[in-house]
Amino acid sequence: MIDLSLRRTASTSASASTGPSRAESETGAGTEARTETEGNTNRHDGTAAVRLESVSHEYGTGGGRLRSGRDRTVTALEDVSLAVGAGEVVGLKGPSGSGKSTILHAVAGLLAPTEGRVDLLGTDLTDRSERERTRLRRNHVGIVFQRFHLLPSLSARANVALPLVQTGVGRSTRRERATELLEAVGLDDRITHLPSELSGGECQRVAIARALATDPDVIVADEPTGELDTTTGASVLELLTDAGRDGNRAVLVASHDDATLAVADRVVPLRDGRVVSDGY
Amino acid sequence: MSALPFAFVRMRAVVGIAVAQLRRSPGRTALAVLAVALAVLAVTLLAGLGAGVVATGEEGLESADQDIWISSDPVDPDASGTENPLVGTHGTAAELTDREDVTYATPIALYDVYVGTDPDPETLERRPAVGVQETHDGFDFEAGGGFETPDEAYEPGQPRSQEPVTDEIVLDPRVAESVDAEVGDTLYVGTSRQTAPEYAFTVVGVSDYYSQFLGSETVTLPLVDLQAVAGTTGTDRATFLTADVADDADREAVAADLDESYPEYDVRPSDEQVGAMIGDRPLVVASGATLVGLAVVGGVVLTVNLFALVAAQQRAELAALRAVGLSRGLLAGTVAAQGVVIGLLGGLVGVLATPLLASGLNRVAASVASFDRLVRPSSDVYVLGLAIALVVGVLVALVAGWRAGRYATIDHLEG
Repeated sequence: MIDLSLRRTASTSASASTGPSRAESETGAGTEARTETEGNTNRHDGTAAVRLESVSHEYGTGGGRLRSGRDRTVTALEDVSLAVGAGEVVGLKGPSGSGKSTILHAVAGLLAPTEGRVDLLGTDLTDRSERERTRLRRNHVGIVFQRFHLLPSLSARANVALPLVQTGVGRSTRRERATELLEAVGLDDRITHLPSELSGGECQRVAIARALATDPDVIVADEPTGELDTTTGASVLELLTDAGRDGNRAVLVASHDDATLAVADRVVPLRDGRVVSDGY
Repeated sequence: MSALPFAFVRMRAVVGIAVAQLRRSPGRTALAVLAVALAVLAVTLLAGLGAGVVATGEEGLESADQDIWISSDPVDPDASGTENPLVGTHGTAAELTDREDVTYATPIALYDVYVGTDPDPETLERRPAVGVQETHDGFDFEAGGGFETPDEAYEPGQPRSQEPVTDEIVLDPRVAESVDAEVGDTLYVGTSRQTAPEYAFTVVGVSDYYSQFLGSETVTLPLVDLQAVAGTTGTDRATFLTADVADDADREAVAADLDESYPEYDVRPSDEQVGAMIGDRPLVVASGATLVGLAVVGGVVLTVNLFALVAAQQRAELAALRAVGLSRGLLAGTVAAQGVVIGLLGGLVGVLATPLLASGLNRVAASVASFDRLVRPSSDVYVLGLAIALVVGVLVALVAGWRAGRYATIDHLEG
């Protein structure tokens, strides 16, 4: 089995330590953040790495600069509570518009829900600024998109190394880390290829390697096999689940496809922004 | 790792990403560079035109080698010769020359005349004519030589001839070509088609000296002859008088003294004359300023649109970068770095192309208006063009990148 734990060494880690001090230093939240993170962030202790408590979210459709005269909102999530432990792979199942992506975006700090609390490693994202959420996402969350979203102008290795740019890791270290990850996902012969020179499955493998670049504690994957055939999709899912279980990371996979979600430890069905059941 | 190496690492990465983005679409990058180059060219050529117009006027007066200009109004270099308001000009010139602080003074007249090698009135062509006492080295004759009026023709107090004295004329090369005349040929000259056959002149030289000054294809003949042809010998009319100041005299002081002595005239040192000529044309000045302003504003607007477009085209990619944790500042940096590269390349192309296009425009200007080197981009103009490309390009790209980073949300990765 490919080793996807890929723990960063001190030399490749921009913030070498994990746990409370890591989150605290990133958010600058001080004592309060330390108290929150303590007892929650150890990915090995089996406690929740991600926790959503009574989360609701509404998208505004009339709040732009050119108001139409009446503001309309769309409820994407309604009173969603969910917890994902370290090393656990949780599937989010539901049709289009059921709120799967919104949950992933909330966990990644890409949006702040209008109500409720989203804990990432014990830090409540809802009272953090956008900049703080970006910093937390950078160091703790890896994202895998359905359409890969690789930078077409960069090689596979450069794409994987991108998240490390912001952390100030030197070029040679970034390349070393990226090469290591690409080898781990089976693309050691595609390191210098551009995305346009790769197949869909290979692109998604690069995207998974990119998601692992900063050694995140949480991976969110939105329809990761949506653009892939069954065989390729299965190998990509194996990579994702290995990265979660071997690396003791919390993994959230959103999909409407039962075959995709079969790899999950637990599946949470969603409908109209609500959790239908606690999981199966 | 300290903050400085952190910043350096990020900066290197930003430049790397920016260059990769530019290399990814060489066609788009080339068009962007071309657009900036056009903006720079618009600025440098128009500003160079403004500078050239002023320099041409200054050189025209300087090449006349006269320190002081006396007229009833600021001398109009475009005057067709219909206005020769000064009378008794040889007497006035003699008075001026008698002063210790003035070494030489002479009147100059401008008239429109009809010229042709065939006395048939229908074949005559209308041209501006300049009447001067003599030609000089500055004429730089293409063929033949100049003329010199006998001293007795200007003897003060003596009755002056009502007929031409020397019957000699110098033609602009284009006039010579147009009327098919060369040195030694006979040319008929008159202020009307009917009188021209009465005055036969000999072409003694070919030079565009006064054409450069007046901006039209000019003929030059002795002042006494021109006055005779125009029938103004009696009143001794001229457009203006010019005077050379003694080496040890203060030009400004002499001009001020003459202004007091001749209150009916405008007396100006040559540099003031340039200012007066330009100041007398508020429409020209306003048009020139408007053109330069439009060039600058147009260049800025073009650059703003260009970089907004560059940023918008990369919105999905920027959104992906933002999603994987890159900061807005870093995203803005990647777009700004592209702005630097595009601005620098576009600026250099624009600056390097400026002399070439200026040369082409000058040829056109010389052929249609007889002005040599009308577009003269100075070093200041080049710096201005490059500064617009670089400073505006970078600032606009930075703002565009910042805005793109702000609006490049996860929404752009869906659907």
